[in-house]
Amino acid sequence: MLSLKQISKYYSSGGAKTYVLNRVDLDVDQGEFVSIMGPSGSGKSTLLNIIGMLDQPSEGYQYFLNEPVHQLKDKQRSALYKQNIGFVFQAYHLIDELTVYENIETPLLYQDVKSAERKALVADILDRFNIVGKKDLFPEQLSGGQQQLVGIARALISKPKLILADEPTGNLNSKQGEEIMELFKKLNKEDGVTVIQVTHSEKNAQYGSRIINLLDGKIDSSIIL
Amino acid sequence: MFKNHLKIAFRSLWRNRAFSAINMFGLILGFTVFIFIAEYVAYEWNANRFHQNFNQLSRLSFLYKTGESNYYLPPGLGPTLKSNVPGIKQVVRIGENVGSGVLSINTGASKNVFREERVSFVDGQFLKVFTFPVLQGNGLLNEPQTMALSKTTAIKYFGNVNAVGKVIQVNNQFGNTDYTVTSVYQDMPQNSDIQADVLLSYKTLESAALRNGNDWADPTGLGSEYSYLYILTNENANLSQISAQATNLWHKLKPDSKNDHVGLQPFQNLHIAPGFSYQFQTYGSLLLLIAFLSVAMLIIVIAWVNYINLSTAQALNRAREVGVRKVLGASRGQLTLQYLTETFVLTTISLGVAMLMVLMLQAAYNSFLEKQLSLAVLNAGWFWLGGATLIISGTLLAGGYVSWVLSSFNPLKTIRSKAFLKVGGLSLRRGLVVFQFVTSIIFIIATIVLYEQLQYMQNQDLGMKVEQRLAVTGPSIINSSQRDNSIAFENEVRQLPFVKQLSASNNIPGQGYNFSTAGITKSNANPGDDKKSYAMLIVDDQFFKTYDINIKYGTGFTLPMLAHGWTKTKKVVLNEAAVRQLGYNDNNAIIGQKIKWNNDFEIVGVVKDYHHLGLHEQIKPMIFLPAVADGFFTLKMETANMSTKMEQIRSLYQKNFPGEPFSYSFLDEVYDKQYKTEYQLGKIFIAAAFTAVLIACMGLLGLAMFAARRRIKEIGIRKILGANVFSLVNLISADFLKLVVVALVVASPIAWYIMHRWLEGFAYRITMQWWMFASAGLMALFIAFATVSIQAIKAAVSNPVKSLRSE
Ligand SMILES: Nc1ncnc2c1ncn2[C@@H]1O[C@H](COP(=O)(O)OP(=O)(O)O)[C@@H](O)[C@H]1O
Ligand SMILES: [Mg+2]
Repeated sequence: MLSLKQISKYYSSGGAKTYVLNRVDLDVDQGEFVSIMGPSGSGKSTLLNIIGMLDQPSEGYQYFLNEPVHQLKDKQRSALYKQNIGFVFQAYHLIDELTVYENIETPLLYQDVKSAERKALVADILDRFNIVGKKDLFPEQLSGGQQQLVGIARALISKPKLILADEPTGNLNSKQGEEIMELFKKLNKEDGVTVIQVTHSEKNAQYGSRIINLLDGKIDSSIIL
Repeated sequence: MFKNHLKIAFRSLWRNRAFSAINMFGLILGFTVFIFIAEYVAYEWNANRFHQNFNQLSRLSFLYKTGESNYYLPPGLGPTLKSNVPGIKQVVRIGENVGSGVLSINTGASKNVFREERVSFVDGQFLKVFTFPVLQGNGLLNEPQTMALSKTTAIKYFGNVNAVGKVIQVNNQFGNTDYTVTSVYQDMPQNSDIQADVLLSYKTLESAALRNGNDWADPTGLGSEYSYLYILTNENANLSQISAQATNLWHKLKPDSKNDHVGLQPFQNLHIAPGFSYQFQTYGSLLLLIAFLSVAMLIIVIAWVNYINLSTAQALNRAREVGVRKVLGASRGQLTLQYLTETFVLTTISLGVAMLMVLMLQAAYNSFLEKQLSLAVLNAGWFWLGGATLIISGTLLAGGYVSWVLSSFNPLKTIRSKAFLKVGGLSLRRGLVVFQFVTSIIFIIATIVLYEQLQYMQNQDLGMKVEQRLAVTGPSIINSSQRDNSIAFENEVRQLPFVKQLSASNNIPGQGYNFSTAGITKSNANPGDDKKSYAMLIVDDQFFKTYDINIKYGTGFTLPMLAHGWTKTKKVVLNEAAVRQLGYNDNNAIIGQKIKWNNDFEIVGVVKDYHHLGLHEQIKPMIFLPAVADGFFTLKMETANMSTKMEQIRSLYQKNFPGEPFSYSFLDEVYDKQYKTEYQLGKIFIAAAFTAVLIACMGLLGLAMFAARRRIKEIGIRKILGANVFSLVNLISADFLKLVVVALVVASPIAWYIMHRWLEGFAYRITMQWWMFASAGLMALFIAFATVSIQAIKAAVSNPVKSLRSE
């Protein structure tokens, strides 16, 4: 599904280059559930953002669904991730002004999905996530776990092939975290959605099919479970 | 999608209601001031435009070699022009207010009398040519002793507009004449430069009997110049050709006028000149109009600048939302549209509230300007369209910039952490604040200078006294016993214990002269001396004493000089300016000299120069003529318990002048009225300065809020390290106060230049002082400091632990 070849990312400060990622090679297949681990500052988020095309590598070649991402223009790149990738954040990043329903609906608006179809899709996912009763509430009226649930529902609404989750359980207690992990596992198994998550929790990492350990901008180890 | 944008716009405006309120406040203020000024501008621009023949009308004038122009022409020129110059369809003469006096209506049982000032003699086609709508009657005044009334006047006299056929006796300088009403016309619009409540037919004055000895008023005469002449030309007439032919004709009629030129002023330019240094006089002021327009534009630009400032400062709070939306797939165009919608909502609400404000404050504004303005005056020409275009394009520009800033955020950075976020254009925002303060300071300086000048004019030694002087208007009805009545009235009033002095004169200070004339020289005149003009005033023996005007040489007039009138006595008093213009030496030897004005007139006295009219003008050379005058009676008196005193004077007046309305004014008020424009301008500048400063402070407040939030971590750390509140307030405020100082430096020379030009319009004026600039700067600094320090103190006293944790 995606492939990174000799990907590097560095920041120059005062003439010196600080490498955040250093010649990383990574291939992820359709249907995988990858957990990325590593100490703080090791470049996990950077790697995830490059995969998600929110960030661009300083060097290297990147392919997504056989498209050479490093050769694409901004517009094409954003069209590519708009259609295929859903993002889940540690801080949920729901839009405060919008209700649960509207938050989930937003990606569809940006893809110009017809109103009737939008309604059906949102109703369907609210039902699946058991949050129909909460649809008119605003984010601040929800618990952290519920907010993350909405965040995931929003990431899934446009039926992405790939979910990128940066420490999705980082702000949650362990019980809420478990529920989210179960959800990812179910999505991965039953719907065949590819999942790549960053996590600090050894336990949560075990939900996946592969664990990648990052250290100083390099892949230290890659363990298939 | 738009519905969605709209919904979100409302929600986020509500969510950030403090910010939205501040933001809207600026816009509302800006729009309100803008609309008010636009009303005034539209009103001025529309002056006279209701005439259907607007494009074919012109006013005639004499242009002299000296560059001066004169709009009072001999009425006899009118008919001659029409028959001799091709291209002229109609000539209409207006003897403006020449017929003012008392109108009496016999209602059978009693006689109702009304004093009317705006009574003009006009030609028969007047109403037709100027297309004043006629409500009743045929609209013609071709016959002698016919008249037309305005609607309001007709209702005042008869209770309704059905006045045609009624007979009214008019008592004015031409005696008592009966006139028959032929027409009632719609009241002349307030922004018409031609105004009259009563129109009398010019034809009437062709009869010598009906002129009552005032042969100067003969409509066929070429001697005295007292009539306005308007011409109606063909559609595409060549005005310069007509003007040349009219000039030729005039030279033929009056061989000694070879140097005069007959000018044609198109009606379009009667109210507002088409440019500066226009050779003809106008009723309105282009300068004032442009000043108003500039103020309006500046205020509205300040409001938008404020919007930009506040919104971009607030953008920091919106950054995360922008980032999330981008990650969710929003394109930049979609985001721009969303934030533009917000601007649109904000602007629309502000505009709506501004309209309400205008409706609510309209009455106050009107009474202040003494004009009938309303939103409806905008409904003319391109004003709606122009105003709407301006507001929409300004909104698009301001909103567009804000949207552009917002939508340019890098999503990755915004969702990661606020610490990485730099909201661009900080220097731009500083520039905008400087701009706001430059404008505010200019307004403040302008206000200070203006009021200093007004103050100066009021405190200027006029060379005479106007306080505690009451001017009673003399009788208008002319009859054989009038002179005796006036003398009796004067004597009786002098008996009143509170009256210290009394003088009768035919005009008074602050009001005008009796006439101006050339052709006066000393006995051995230099060539050209006879072209110099003198202002003539007819007064009695008490005039100088009553007004405390100092006599420099000789004496004033004496009672015997009055008795025979100036035409027989042949004595004059001069002011110093007249002495200089005549070419005499300024010493006592002048007494007894004779000046030539057809006959010889003996100089019996010289008075010190005094400001007969306001300080706009240089003191004119004046010549006083003695007579038993009765135009005005000036009473020098104690003004305490005025109402009982007034009753006593009134009863004496009515006893001696039965049937005459009693009217009076206080001289100091009459005098102050001359500065009405300056007072209005002053008030407008105060309002503008106030608005500009207020809006600028809003901008500053926004910036300070932003800065305080941006530096909250720094403040927290400094506090933990032991900084006190004062030093923290300093830290934040200093930045902004620097901006105000920069603004003062930029504003001062601009303000100096503008006000210097303005002051040049006064013959007697102040010089600008450094303290005027300094106090404007101090005022701005103080206001800015007050605004900023509130935010700074709030930030400085906040709990550092809390602010650090939330980062
Ligand atoms: N814009 C930037 N400029 C400089 N350094 C950056 C920037 N963004 C991230 N970094 C640095 O890159 C490193 C890796 O960051 P990140 O990928 O967020 O690590 P992780 O998610 O593993 O904690 C960190 O040391 C961080 O300070
Ligand atoms: Mg990270």
